[in-house]
Amino acid sequence: MEVFIQQILNSLSIASVIILIAVGITLIFGLTGIINFAHGELLMIGGITTWVFVHNGFSFLIALAAAIVVVGLIGFLLERGIFRFTLDNPMNGFIVSLGLIVVLQHVVVLLFDPNQKAIPRPLTTVWDVGDIRVAATRIMVIAVTAIVVALTFYVIARTRYGRALRASVADRETAYLMGIPVRRYVSAVFVVGSMLAGLGGAMLIALFPITPFTGSAIVIKGFAVALIGGLGNPGGAVVAGVVLGLVEGFSAGYGFSEWTDAYSFALMILILLVRPHGLLGGTEGPRVNS
Amino acid sequence: MSTRNQMAGHDVTSAEGRSSSEANRSGGPERWLVVVAMFVALAALPWLTTETRLISLAITTGINVIALYGLAILFGQAGILSVGHAALMGIGAYAAAILARDFGLGFWAALPICAFLSAATAGLLGFPALRVSGHHFVILTFAFGQLLTIVLTNGGEFTGRATGLDIGPIETTFGLDFNSLAGMYLLTLAFVAISMAAAHFIDISAYGRTLRSIRENPQLAASVGIDVRFHKIGVFMVSGLFAGVSGVVLAYYFRHISPSLFGAFPSVYLAMMVMLGGSRLLFGPLGGAIIVSFLPEILDLDPVEARIAYGAILVGVILILPGGVIAGIGIILRKLVAMARRIRGLRFASIESERNAEGG
Repeated sequence: MEVFIQQILNSLSIASVIILIAVGITLIFGLTGIINFAHGELLMIGGITTWVFVHNGFSFLIALAAAIVVVGLIGFLLERGIFRFTLDNPMNGFIVSLGLIVVLQHVVVLLFDPNQKAIPRPLTTVWDVGDIRVAATRIMVIAVTAIVVALTFYVIARTRYGRALRASVADRETAYLMGIPVRRYVSAVFVVGSMLAGLGGAMLIALFPITPFTGSAIVIKGFAVALIGGLGNPGGAVVAGVVLGLVEGFSAGYGFSEWTDAYSFALMILILLVRPHGLLGGTEGPRVNS
Repeated sequence: MSTRNQMAGHDVTSAEGRSSSEANRSGGPERWLVVVAMFVALAALPWLTTETRLISLAITTGINVIALYGLAILFGQAGILSVGHAALMGIGAYAAAILARDFGLGFWAALPICAFLSAATAGLLGFPALRVSGHHFVILTFAFGQLLTIVLTNGGEFTGRATGLDIGPIETTFGLDFNSLAGMYLLTLAFVAISMAAAHFIDISAYGRTLRSIRENPQLAASVGIDVRFHKIGVFMVSGLFAGVSGVVLAYYFRHISPSLFGAFPSVYLAMMVMLGGSRLLFGPLGGAIIVSFLPEILDLDPVEARIAYGAILVGVILILPGGVIAGIGIILRKLVAMARRIRGLRFASIESERNAEGG
């Protein structure tokens, strides 16, 4: 039982990072139809930014804020400079993102080095509850993710901006005709998605050391989660993220750790065979009329 | 006179309006001569240079080109993009190494078996992945690359773990020794020529037309009786065949293979080469591979800078020349020709008007 609860905590903290990235991926896909493979690099840059700030003597909180701002800015620049020209043909957006993976990774390698980077744990407290050791950092990661995701969902489900966003996802052309500034929403979704990735990066480096190549390993799990939940469906991403996190956590806890990374793929295949549109149903991306 | 000029102008626009792949398909005998001459010139390379570095780079480029033609059929003709092709190469390469180790099969005996295994793997992967949209397929192929690396690393003695497997040399066939650098180069070049020819014949065949109809409008294709799903999985298997052959040649050239050669990133680079060169042109994949392989040599870049350059070039090419660099060069050439024609046309026109003036 102790191992079980320990594993749940560990799994949920990893799942948090994956959910943060999957929500960004699935929001961007839902509105633009672009599968942004470079999203994992944004996560990595978020982690590296946190590392840079912490190593220059700033507190983790400031480093985290900096990571969110820096990555949000990069997301904005990428959307304005590159992705907006591929909105008519999302496949081109995907190909461009392949190029961006390589560029972003190696720019980081060029600026710093390819080695592993770590920061001291931002919260050193470890609570002993019975036989279970609960690291405060893990609780922080889970709590922050829960709050941020809940906030995102509130905005999407309850505010007029969220309604406009959902309208744009359902039908971009008609939403535009109804006076919704769809182009601005596209930018906003890229920025918010990137900020979530930046936050995810800061959370990740609080848990594990990262390298410039961590992003692409995580992003594939983000995609797996987005796909299992249903591409374009943020709620599905959260559910699938928790499921995948638990599966991975238990397999690692009960002695199949070398196969951990394979589960996301196996689950993906299984879900596609049984429910081709994901657990909670996704979208096909926007219709492109051009 | 003015009507004449307009007519000339009309001709020019219609020539430009013709799609590049169509222009590609209507090649006359001169075109074939050019291709043959190019391959003869390429075959002479080992006797023209003594730099082994250049030849070994040319061999690895050529090995990639074999797989790239498969990828070009998949993306250029059927409009399906895979970022898992290096993994399919890996299936071929590991199958070759295991067949050689456990069954003593040589290069030529293993080649068809390994190519078939790669194609079968592609079929298994395509079966769930091509049920839904192209997005799912792209993500699954990428994940497949990651998965294969994990399986090969965890496979124990059978796959040699992270260190990989060794493989013997290619046996001497018909008195030909393929183990010298020049021999390996010629063998690779022969495979490149075969895959290029295969891609060309698929392009001009009824099968190519079927694939293009699926790319342009799957619903319409289905309504005229084309089994879209069957052909989607089929074309992925065909491109897997190319990847398998390429993997076997790679294994026998390197003589040692390891999981990292076939992960997600080599696949991304393969996709990049096809996009850079242009997937719908006969020379596109070859051109893309040559650009990616030789660019760092020409510009004297270190690997990190070279990768940044590839990525940036890819982004630029997709935004500015979506048909690829080779198609872009084609368009520029055609524009130049058109411009030259227009200038000549003007000159004729001015001569004529002078004549008219003299006559009148």
